[in-house]
Amino acid sequence: MGQVGAWWVRAGRGFVRACVVAAVALLVPCVWAAAVALGIRWGAGNPWSWVAPVVLVCGGTLGLSRPVCRTVRRLVERWTGTAVPDGYRQAPPVAQLSTGYWWNGFGYERTRRDALMDQRLRVRWKDPANWRDLRFTAVLPFTAGAVACLPPSGVVVAALGSFGLPVRVLGLLVAVACAPYAWRCLEPVAVRFLRPSAAMALADRVAELTAQRADATVAQAAEIRRIERDLHDGAQARLVSLGLSLATAEKLMATDPERARALMREARDGATASLTELRELVRGINPPVLGDRGLADAVRALALDSPLETTVEADLPAGLDPPIESALYFAVAELLANAAKHARATRARITLGQDPTGLVVRVEDDGRGGAVPRADGGLAGLRRRLAAFDGTLEITSPEGGPTSMRVRVPCASS
Amino acid sequence: MRIVVAEDLYLLRDGMVRLIEAYGHQVVATAATGPETLTALLEWRPDVAVVDVRMPPTQKDEGLRAALAARREVPGLPVFVLSQYVEQLYARELLADGSGGVGYFLKDSVFDADQFIDALERVAAGGTAMDPAVIAKLLSSGTSHRRLEALTEREHSVLGLMAEGLSNQAIGQRLFLSESAISKYTTSLFGKLGLTDDDSGNRRVLAVLAYLNSP
Repeated sequence: MGQVGAWWVRAGRGFVRACVVAAVALLVPCVWAAAVALGIRWGAGNPWSWVAPVVLVCGGTLGLSRPVCRTVRRLVERWTGTAVPDGYRQAPPVAQLSTGYWWNGFGYERTRRDALMDQRLRVRWKDPANWRDLRFTAVLPFTAGAVACLPPSGVVVAALGSFGLPVRVLGLLVAVACAPYAWRCLEPVAVRFLRPSAAMALADRVAELTAQRADATVAQAAEIRRIERDLHDGAQARLVSLGLSLATAEKLMATDPERARALMREARDGATASLTELRELVRGINPPVLGDRGLADAVRALALDSPLETTVEADLPAGLDPPIESALYFAVAELLANAAKHARATRARITLGQDPTGLVVRVEDDGRGGAVPRADGGLAGLRRRLAAFDGTLEITSPEGGPTSMRVRVPCASS
Repeated sequence: MRIVVAEDLYLLRDGMVRLIEAYGHQVVATAATGPETLTALLEWRPDVAVVDVRMPPTQKDEGLRAALAARREVPGLPVFVLSQYVEQLYARELLADGSGGVGYFLKDSVFDADQFIDALERVAAGGTAMDPAVIAKLLSSGTSHRRLEALTEREHSVLGLMAEGLSNQAIGQRLFLSESAISKYTTSLFGKLGLTDDDSGNRRVLAVLAYLNSP
């Protein structure tokens, strides 16, 4: 009894859904039909009577295609849980320039409102998704729409008095039998025809690369500024003071040899300190051992210096691109430092290897876990830097540990 | 002593030669590239060779490789490696054959000329001399750190100086302690680490370094 009841519930729900799908799918065909009816009513022979219907058809189709697609997407997600990405072009932010004008990515406008309106129209007009939406609006009535029409039309046939009893019973049977299934056609159709096209995927990729390039340029400029500041405040200043000490010592040599000697010792200490600073700076830019020995040995050197008991297993191809080596080296350095600092681990294992998709670096520790990338944190920064190489960072760090971090970079050398 | 100096930067090479000659030692040959270094080492068989790590033609670790190759040909050939940076990895490679006659220092070490020449002489005599920076890294790395937890602070610093290659007498001078006090510390720390202190010379240094370097 319960099963039959459940079936009726499903049939009822399916019937409502089929009606909704049919209504959405037939919206645009209805506009066309209305336009044709209007044209015929005004006089099929007179070309002037078709002007308004053509305008109605064009405007209606263009204007309704996006709302229809949005509705279908929302229905599919709500009923089946399948998310179909829309891939609509996003408007870039509008900025006011020092001249007082507003720049919206296409042109200058006097007010913010004008800039936003102009931008919305242009983004909407030039969006490659428009073509896909139009195609979908054309495909929908003939596929999911036609199938979804079955239950409602069966009921209509049963309700109308103009047919004989057998036909009306048959209509009711068809309606009831296919009610739970008729709307399901919507999902495959939406997945097939409503996802972003290749051109849109390409456009997205271009936008992504543009953003990455901007990121990389900003990061590079910041890095150069940091190096300049370090040199200016560190080594340069120390060398000036060293020269001063030596000049004073030279002057005092004859009159006060004891003070001259002290000054020279001071100068020597200054030279040692500036060398130490320069060494740290160089290590931060490009660790010498990486240039000398390549990634595997550089990571071994890193493991030896780490306060954790660290083992390294390496199976890497020869001749990796230096930028990728450097990115992976600094990634391992950061992950290892995190393991020591935040995870309170005592042991770590680093595995460097490759699989068919590219290079894979794993850093595992026995710490307390719970690592979550925060918006401005080190892990998020690491992800951003890896993104420049299409690299990814997977984090597996349950509360209580252990933590396993996996860095993947598509291989450029192969 | 007969010394070979291998360094690619002219100013540094010249300065080094002058410093060494100022202490009454003789520089028999100089080299400016990796292959030249290997040839000079094998041809002159010096009492000790001062070798830079990074050298032409590749500007990678040519000097270190030449030194290691020469030591494979002539086991125990004393080399004193100078570098702008120190790596435990390179220290391990130099010590790997266990025959001594190895020095590994930052270039800054020449600022203290007395200690530099002293270390150079120690290496020439078949001893071992390590930069304090190398030893500090060695003592603080994962495995060592755990093993050395039992040591007192004073024993820890004695162990460090011992690993640098200093004799009990020299350690005593650095720490302002008597030689007998130092030997008391060494006996106790060797006991804690489970090593036997049957020698106070180079074998002891090598044993300590091997202990610290073992995985």
